[in-house]
Amino acid sequence: MSLEKILEVKNLETSFFTEDGEVRAVQDVSFDVYKGKTIGIVGESGCGKSVTSLSIMRLIPSPPGKIVGGKILYKGEDLVNVPQNQMRRIRGNEISMVFQEPMTSLNPVFTIGNQISEAISLHHPKMSAMDVKNRAVDMLKLVGIPEAEKRIGEYPHQLSGGMRQRVMIAMALSCDPNILIADEPTTALDVTIQAQILELLKELQKKMGMGIILITHDLGVIAEMADDVVVMYAGRVVEQGTVQEIFDNPKHPYTSGLLSSIPKLNQRSDRLSTIPGIVPNLLHLPQGCRFQDRCKYVESVCKGVEPDLRVIKNHEVLDHKIRCVKDI
Amino acid sequence: MNELDVLVSVENLVKRFPIKGGILRREVASVKAVSEVSFQIKRGETLGLVGESGCGKSTLGRCLLRLLEPTSGKIFYNGQDITNLDHSQMRALRRNMQIIFQDPYASLNPRMTVEDIIAEPLEIHKIGANRSERRKRIYELLDLCGLRREAVSRYPHEFSGGQRQRICIARALAVNPDFIVCDEPVSALDVSIQAQIINLMQDLQKELGLTYLFIAHDLQVVEHISDRVAVMYLGKIVEIADSDELYKNPRHPYTQALLSAIPIPDPNHHSKRILLPGDVPSPINPPNGCYFHPRCPAVKDDCKGSFPDLKSVKGQSSGSHEAACFYSESVNILQ
Repeated sequence: MSLEKILEVKNLETSFFTEDGEVRAVQDVSFDVYKGKTIGIVGESGCGKSVTSLSIMRLIPSPPGKIVGGKILYKGEDLVNVPQNQMRRIRGNEISMVFQEPMTSLNPVFTIGNQISEAISLHHPKMSAMDVKNRAVDMLKLVGIPEAEKRIGEYPHQLSGGMRQRVMIAMALSCDPNILIADEPTTALDVTIQAQILELLKELQKKMGMGIILITHDLGVIAEMADDVVVMYAGRVVEQGTVQEIFDNPKHPYTSGLLSSIPKLNQRSDRLSTIPGIVPNLLHLPQGCRFQDRCKYVESVCKGVEPDLRVIKNHEVLDHKIRCVKDI
Repeated sequence: MNELDVLVSVENLVKRFPIKGGILRREVASVKAVSEVSFQIKRGETLGLVGESGCGKSTLGRCLLRLLEPTSGKIFYNGQDITNLDHSQMRALRRNMQIIFQDPYASLNPRMTVEDIIAEPLEIHKIGANRSERRKRIYELLDLCGLRREAVSRYPHEFSGGQRQRICIARALAVNPDFIVCDEPVSALDVSIQAQIINLMQDLQKELGLTYLFIAHDLQVVEHISDRVAVMYLGKIVEIADSDELYKNPRHPYTQALLSAIPIPDPNHHSKRILLPGDVPSPINPPNGCYFHPRCPAVKDDCKGSFPDLKSVKGQSSGSHEAACFYSESVNILQ
């Protein structure tokens, strides 16, 4: 099976320059996105997963934020350096994004038809108004909205949470993008609706072949959707590998701690295992490994220099790498 | 169930929120948030209450403490009918019943120090003769909840989400309650912090003999912490059973669908998933008959007639198991 690499993130560094100093929200993050495959980025709040995705879209608010290093290679171009007007052509057209909160990301004063049409006519200025409308109806049908012709005239508040997220997906896919970034697409939804949306994303990926970057804190969603996984902690990639490797053989203490701290269905235990303490402040990081204060395997070597990401197992697609000096 | 074992008992509880319209602001319709719910909570147990957003689980929790006035029905606490107690009687009773909310960011006053926050219930209920005695009690509570004593002089914004939830728990425990309604206490927290808070709540329960009503939408968390679990759909309890029994042998098609929809953190896990069509219907206009019938994959003609009562089903274990489905003995939508 040959895989087509469509996006390459290389040593991405994004910082926010605040009054208290430089917050290095994303440091040395690298991963590849393949056509028709899903890469999951998982981590807790503040680990830099959303900043990574916003960096790819060049949507980091500037100031205070700035991409200070690294490359984002797409079709032979480095997105870090393309001018804004060219980026505007790529954004929404070739790389598009679905956000977590479908209510706040839709404009309440325009009909959903209006909002989908806007994206289409922006990227296809020559399309006639009729064609644009038909395309919008087709997109709504594609994402499983019943009575699409009627619904197109409705406002976001008339739709349920699940329906709104479907509209967001329809909008994101309306220009047939090569890459879809889904930032916590189901976090605000109920579990039965979440199941519908995840199923829809899988189905659309099969049909349209886009690569998906899925950002979530939910390891269950990752296990279900992702082919490859990147685990982030305090702005750094701490482990990456195929979904099988990460879940079957988690090697970084943070990943294994995270996996064992979720209660599992039908496996009751008296106590949950926990990761003690809290995520460090990015302004005051400890010297050495960032996870040392919470790690049960910590040794003196962990307090010296921060470990590099190293390969621990080769794999034809994605080597299993961890940022830890030990093998647990 | 032995009468003496029961701490909280609810009979046919109904809560409707009127919708007013027109120039005269007359009631034009109502949201039936909780409709005719009956159940009991045993002393020292954790009853989990699960359901999707809008199913009425939080409303039910608030009605139990009479933070919302029930429209009809009866609530018994410790054998006493508390449905019609007046304000001052109710206030005295609230020493025994407390609540922890979902959002530890919104439920702490940002202008109060941790000491003031925890001291407030002590002052209201006149516990502790003077400031130093109260301070002693506050230290006790901080120790109990895993917070440092230096925290007393600090403000909520100086704490992380998990620590704030610990402050909320300390505040709830200040008056030494028997019963705590936990309304989505860990939903806003990260996974690793969530586990810390769940463990804390379980330790406290053992140590202090607390009884919990644990409201959550996360089915794994509820399974972990609960002795018994009730599943709500559109204001009704559709199934209630011991936790192990409910998760292993769900007898209501909604519970079956809900359990099958959970994403399992294991890429090798491939079980059949039931995708329920559509959304939860509006509680303003619930469907006729069984509320679940428009989405139920196993719907039959008589489901459209009347709402099935909760009736006991033969479970795999000895505990009681009740489900509100005409076909609860046989239905299995996973097949």
